[in-house]
Amino acid sequence: MAWEAWHRFDPNLASNDLVQDLKWDPQLRALFKQSEAAVLDRYDLLPAERKAIEERDFKTLYELGIHPYLGGQLSRFIWGNEAGKGAVTAANNLVASLTGSRKDAPAS
Amino acid sequence: MAEIVFAAGIPHAPAVVGQFEQAPPDVQAVVTRTFRETARRLTAARPHVAIVFANDHLSNSRVRSYPDFLIGAAERHAGPHEWFKPWIGCRDYVAKGDAAVAKALFRGMTRRGIRMTARNENLNFDDNISVPVVMLDLDRSDIRLVPVLQNCTVPPYPDQHRCYAVGHALADFVAHDLPQDMRVALLGSGGLSHEPGGARYYRIDEDFDREFLAACTSGDHRSLLRDFTPERMDAAGMGGTAEILAWYPLLGAIGECRGESFGYSGWPNFRCGIGGVIWDLGSKRQ
Repeated sequence: MAWEAWHRFDPNLASNDLVQDLKWDPQLRALFKQSEAAVLDRYDLLPAERKAIEERDFKTLYELGIHPYLGGQLSRFIWGNEAGKGAVTAANNLVASLTGSRKDAPAS
Repeated sequence: MAEIVFAAGIPHAPAVVGQFEQAPPDVQAVVTRTFRETARRLTAARPHVAIVFANDHLSNSRVRSYPDFLIGAAERHAGPHEWFKPWIGCRDYVAKGDAAVAKALFRGMTRRGIRMTARNENLNFDDNISVPVVMLDLDRSDIRLVPVLQNCTVPPYPDQHRCYAVGHALADFVAHDLPQDMRVALLGSGGLSHEPGGARYYRIDEDFDREFLAACTSGDHRSLLRDFTPERMDAAGMGGTAEILAWYPLLGAIGECRGESFGYSGWPNFRCGIGGVIWDLGSKRQ
């Protein structure tokens, strides 16, 4: 498997803190929905890191060093985390960004 | 001396709760059999305490200061964590804790050279603890829960050999540090193959899963320690499959016992291989 996220993982990356704070703080989560830029302003993001979040470019975000599990959770904060449906939209968009091709979830 | 009276490894994929109704009948049967039989035999073993090892999905600690084993020493354990509720879609629960056993575990493992961390507050539980609690009805039983959230995903994390050594220390702790006549259940929560957040989100490695379950049920610890490396776990699904490392403290604690599995599902929509093992503690290999 050529996926090298472990070798690229950087625990210093502010995106890791951003996603964990979104998990832990419902008010921050609400603000993220309302004004994503206002939340991003609070974090010491690299220019390329911020651009990758704004452009939903997860491949670049992973190359910069976000933990993949937190990358997956960021996709849910952006595209939804529906109960009982497996957050299919978020998962499909994430995989599409990482692979460069659309590969939707298998049908139920 | 206290005694280990039950040991099982079980999956905790949230979809087994949230997407159970959409699953085909044969897949539902695997989920139902696995958890129903685990619950039945757990109850029959009459444990006072269940120590549950489970992957911490980066829900309690910053990645820059991540504990390898985080003991929940609260008097009660409520969940699921607020953020995870819509994800898992299970009932709210409050399970009994055991602060005294949790603190004894922290002290005992420290004295045996195993670095653990303990917190007295309610930890943030996602599927790691919530699925075992609601699927085994631990919140509706008198069994007291001691969660040990394990680092299976933030590198460098303890490998299979280290987790197995933790199990040796755990067995010694149970035998010598806990109150006489205390009955202890051990649960390993996690796996099987999956890659959450990765490019292979929808891929399950059925061959890997079946080989792992076979090694577990045959009690072949030589294979479990030699053949199931972190590298191979990652090849079967990065960032997820290594949750099976939460089964290794149990393996080290109970020794080479044979076990029983209750079927396997690689249904893609669960995004995780599903299967569990209950070990027969009276069946140690010679």
